[in-house]
Amino acid sequence: MLKCNINGVDLEVPEGTKLIEAFLKAEQKIAHYCWHPGLSVAGVCRLCMCEIEGNPRLQIACNTEVQEGMVASNQSEKVKETVRWGMDFHLINHPLDCPICDQAGECGLQEQYMEYGQYTPSMAHAKVKKRKVVSLGSKVVLDSERCILCSRCVRFTDEVTKTHELGIFNRGDKSEIGTFHDKPLENKYAVNTVDICPVGALTSKEFRFKQRVWYLKDEKTVCPGCSTGCSVKVYHNQEGLFRVKPEYDAEVNEHWMCDEGRGVFDWVNRQNRQSYSVNAENMEKPSSSELKLILTAQQTVEEYESLFEYLKSSNKKVEVYYWKNNPDKFDDFDNLLIRGDKNPNTKGLLETAVKHDITLNPFSGFDGFESFEGDIWFILPENKAVYPLYEQYVEKALKLENNLTIFAVPKVKVDKTKKNISILPLKTYFEKDGHFLNFNGLKRQLKPGPLQVSSALALNEWVSFVKSDDFGDQVDLLSKRKSEGFRKKNEMTQTGGGL
Amino acid sequence: MSKAIESKLLTEYYDDPHYMSFEGYTKRKGYEVLKKAFKMKPEEIVAEVKASGLRGRGGAGFPTGVKWGFLPKNDKKRFLLCNADEGEPGTFKDRMMMEKAPHQLIEGMIISAYAVNAHKSYIYIRGEYTDCLRIVKEAIDEAYAKGLLGKNILGSGFDHDMDVYSGAGAYICGEETGMISSLEGLKGQPKLKPPFPAIQGYLKFPTIVNNVETLAAVIPIIEKGADFYKSLGTEKSTGTKLFSVSGDVVQPGNYEVELGTPLMDLIELCGGLKPGRSLKAVIPGGSSAPVLTADECVDATMDYENLSAKGSMLGSGAVIVIDDSHSMVDLLTVIMHFYHHESCGQCTPCREGTGWLEKLVKGILKGSGRVEDLDLILRVANNMKGRTICALSDAAALPALSFVEKFRLEFEQHIRTQSPVRERETTSHA
Ligand SMILES: Cc1cc2nc3c(=O)[nH]c(=O)nc-3n(C[C@H](O)[C@H](O)[C@H](O)COP(=O)(O)O)c2cc1C
Ligand code: SF4
Ligand code: SF4
Ligand code: SF4
Ligand code: FES
Repeated sequence: MLKCNINGVDLEVPEGTKLIEAFLKAEQKIAHYCWHPGLSVAGVCRLCMCEIEGNPRLQIACNTEVQEGMVASNQSEKVKETVRWGMDFHLINHPLDCPICDQAGECGLQEQYMEYGQYTPSMAHAKVKKRKVVSLGSKVVLDSERCILCSRCVRFTDEVTKTHELGIFNRGDKSEIGTFHDKPLENKYAVNTVDICPVGALTSKEFRFKQRVWYLKDEKTVCPGCSTGCSVKVYHNQEGLFRVKPEYDAEVNEHWMCDEGRGVFDWVNRQNRQSYSVNAENMEKPSSSELKLILTAQQTVEEYESLFEYLKSSNKKVEVYYWKNNPDKFDDFDNLLIRGDKNPNTKGLLETAVKHDITLNPFSGFDGFESFEGDIWFILPENKAVYPLYEQYVEKALKLENNLTIFAVPKVKVDKTKKNISILPLKTYFEKDGHFLNFNGLKRQLKPGPLQVSSALALNEWVSFVKSDDFGDQVDLLSKRKSEGFRKKNEMTQTGGGL
Repeated sequence: MSKAIESKLLTEYYDDPHYMSFEGYTKRKGYEVLKKAFKMKPEEIVAEVKASGLRGRGGAGFPTGVKWGFLPKNDKKRFLLCNADEGEPGTFKDRMMMEKAPHQLIEGMIISAYAVNAHKSYIYIRGEYTDCLRIVKEAIDEAYAKGLLGKNILGSGFDHDMDVYSGAGAYICGEETGMISSLEGLKGQPKLKPPFPAIQGYLKFPTIVNNVETLAAVIPIIEKGADFYKSLGTEKSTGTKLFSVSGDVVQPGNYEVELGTPLMDLIELCGGLKPGRSLKAVIPGGSSAPVLTADECVDATMDYENLSAKGSMLGSGAVIVIDDSHSMVDLLTVIMHFYHHESCGQCTPCREGTGWLEKLVKGILKGSGRVEDLDLILRVANNMKGRTICALSDAAALPALSFVEKFRLEFEQHIRTQSPVRERETTSHA
C-alpha cells in the first residue's frame, strides 16, 4: 500500500493505482471524460488536471501513478481555471442540441459544465460542422458534432471486444469517429459504446427517443439472459420497461453486458404478459395423487425451495421433469460474458434439487405422457425466445386431457371451454425477490421493481396459496391488486408548468 | 561581411558534387571516423558525446549524451531512429544534408548505433522529400555492398541493419512519439509520456530518436574529440549549427556557423536585407519559436541560452527574416493555418484551440475582427500551453502570443482600418 494525500485527505492505495482513482477514492471531485476504469488510459481530454507537490507543471491524474508520499490537489485557482478552459475547449464546437438530444439529463457535458464550467463563453465564430445521424451498424447511431473525441468507444472495440470496428478518422478538428468501409459496428457488445460515450454522440437505435431519461427510474438487479448473470440496472416507469444497462460487478461482468441481455426486458412489459388467471378454481378441487411437473432453470432458488418442499411434504407421487433448451451448447462461452446456457439459475436448480433429494428427469416433450392420468404442472420459461421448442410444447400441452396447471409469464392462448386447464400468471425476474446462482455458483440477488401485472405471483407465492385452504379468496384479492403509479411523461409541463 | 564567420564542420565538402557518392565520400576521409569509433568502447563514445555538450538539433535541444544515457543498462533489443521528417516551417537543413551527404548521415548513425548498442535503425524521411528518400536508400545499398552495414561491420563484430521509412507528409510525425506511432503502422499521433521512448518506444522497445544533424555531428566529436567540439560555440551551446535562413534576405540558404554567432552577423552572411528595406522581426527557430522584434535582434546571438533569455528559442535553427514590407497579421494567419491543419486532434485544447486561433486571426485579417479578439487570442493561447500530450499545442500558442503581444499596435491598426463599420458597432454598444 502507498500513502498519499489528496486535497488534504490522507489515504492508502494499492501500488499501481492511478492518481485519478485516488481522487475518486478520497471522494474528491475531479473532472474527466476520456478516462474509464475499464479501458486503457488515453489522456486526451486533458480535464483531470492536478498539482503534484514537487512538480511545477500541471499533470493529468489519469496517466499518473500514485507514488509513496505523493501530495496532490486540484483546488487551486490555477487548476480550476485550467479545467474551466478545458470545458470550454470541449464546448466551443459543440452544437446546441440539448433539447433534441437523447443524452440530455444524463450527459457528461451538461453535468461537468455545471460542476466545473459555468463561465461566460467567448466563442463567437461559426462552429465546425460534422456529420449527424450516421448509422454505425444495426444498433448504434453517431452524431459527430456532439462527439468530444474521448476515444472511449474506439478503445472499447479495440480492447474489450477486440473487434476493431471503430476508428478516429481525419485529424485536428476535422477528426471524426467512423467505421471502416465494409465493417459496420456489429458485435455482440456494441451498445456498451453508447453507455460509455459521455455525451449524446452515440445513441442506441432501440432506445433513442422512446423516453426522456428523467422520466425513468432504475432498479439494480440481475440479467436473466444467460448463466453469467450480469449485474444490471433496469430503467422503467409507469409505461413499462425501457432499457437495461450494466452495473459494475467486479466478480461477474465488470463494466459491461451483452446486447442480447439489453433486450430481455420486453417480456416483462404488460402487453406481452399473461395478465389474468384462468380456471384458478381448479386448484381448490381435490385432485389426483399423481403429479408430473415440468420446469426450467429460469426460476429463483427461493421458488425451487418452496416448490420442492411442498412436493416432498405432499403425499403425492411426484415426478419432476427438467426442460433444458439447448443442452449441447450449455458449456459454450465467448471468452467475454456470453454463455451458451441461456438460463440464469441452472446451478441454483441443480443444487436445490440435490438438497431436497429431487430427481430431475430430462424432459423431451409429452411423448410417454399418454398413459398418465394424474395432474400436470407446467412451469413455462419466462425467456421463451431461447427455447426453440416452446411453441410446439405449449401447443401439445394444451391438447392434454389431464388436469393441467400452467404457470406462465408469456401469454398463453387457451380455449376457454377446456375446463381441465388452468393458467396462473407468474412474476418475472424484475418483479420478485430471490436469488440466482450463476454458472460459477455466485449468488446474485434480485431486487423487485414495480409489479407490471397485478395478478402475477412468484412460484413460491403460488405454492403458499395452494397450501392454504382459502385459495379462491386469495385469488380474488389478487385480481383487485393495482400496479404502482409513477409520474407520467410530460406530467410536469402538462399540469405544473403549463405550456 | 565576409564568409569568414562560417565554420564548416559538417558542411566542409558539401560543394563537392561527388561527396554524395560512396567514392566521393571516402575520398574525403569518409568512414574513417567509424573505424576509430570501433576501436573505442561504446560507453567511451557515449561519454565523449556527453562531454562534448552536443544538444539535439531537432528542436528541443536536449543534451544528446544524456538522452543516450537514459537507455536501460542491459543488452536487450533497442532501436535508433533518425528523425528526418523536417516539418518545422522554415527548416530545410536536413534535406540538404541528405541530398549532399547521405553517407555522412549513415556514418554518424552507425557510430551512434554502436554507442547505444542498437542493431537496427530507421531513417524516417518526410513524405515530400522524394529525392532524399531515393538518395538515402541508394546510399544505404552502397553501404551494405561495401560491408558498412549488415553483419560484423569492418570486422568489428558489430552488426547493424538500416532502413528508410517514408512519412506521408504530416508535421506531427516529426514529434518523436508521433513518428514512432507512424513507424509502427498506426495513425501518426504522439503517445502519452511517460513512458518515454528511451524506456519504451518503437514496438515497446527502448528507442533513441535523434535529428539528422545531431547524428551527423557525432562524427566530428569522435574524430576531433569533445574538447575540440566544446571549443566551438558557447559554454552551453557547443559546436556548430546549420541555420536555414529564409525570408527577406538577399541570399536565403543553409549556413553553418558556430553557435553563439550574432543574429545580425548571420543576416549579413546571407547578404543582408533586400535593398531599401528595414528589419521588422525575426523568427529565430522555426515557426514555433516566439518572434523577436527588430530591437530584440540587435543583441541576439544564435545559441540556446541567449534566445531563451529573450523568451524565444533556437528550435530547429530556421531563421525567418521579416522586413517592413510584411504585415504581421498576414504572417500570423499563415502560421495559425498551419497548426490548425497539422494538429493531430487527440488533445482537446490543441484540437479545438488551433482552429479557434485560426478563426480569430483570420477574422482580423479579413476585416471582421474586434479589438477584444486580441485579448481572447492571448487567453486561448495561454490555455493551450503546457496542457497537452505533445508540444504542438505550445508551438501554436507561442507565435500567437508573441505576435499579438509584440505587435499589438499593428493588429489594432489593422482591425481599425479594415473594419470601420464593425468598430462603430462595437463602440456604440459599449
Ligand atoms: C510538433 C513537433 C514536430 C517536430 N518535428 C520535428 C522534425 O520534423 N524533425 C526533428 O528532428 N524533430 C522534430 N521534433 C522534435 C522531436 O520530437 C524530437 O525532440 C527530436 O527529433 C529529437 O532529436 P534531437 O534530440 O536530435 O533533436 C518535433 C517536435 C514537435 C513537438
Ligand atoms: S451531448 Fe449533452 S451537451 Fe451535447 S447536445 Fe446532447 S445533452 Fe446537450
Ligand atoms: S463517440 Fe462518444 S465515446 Fe466515442 S469518442 Fe465520441 S464522445 Fe467519445
Ligand atoms: S498537442 Fe496537438 S498535436 Fe500534440 S498530441 Fe495533442 S492534439 Fe496531437
Ligand atoms: S481523464 Fe485524464 S486526460 Fe481525460
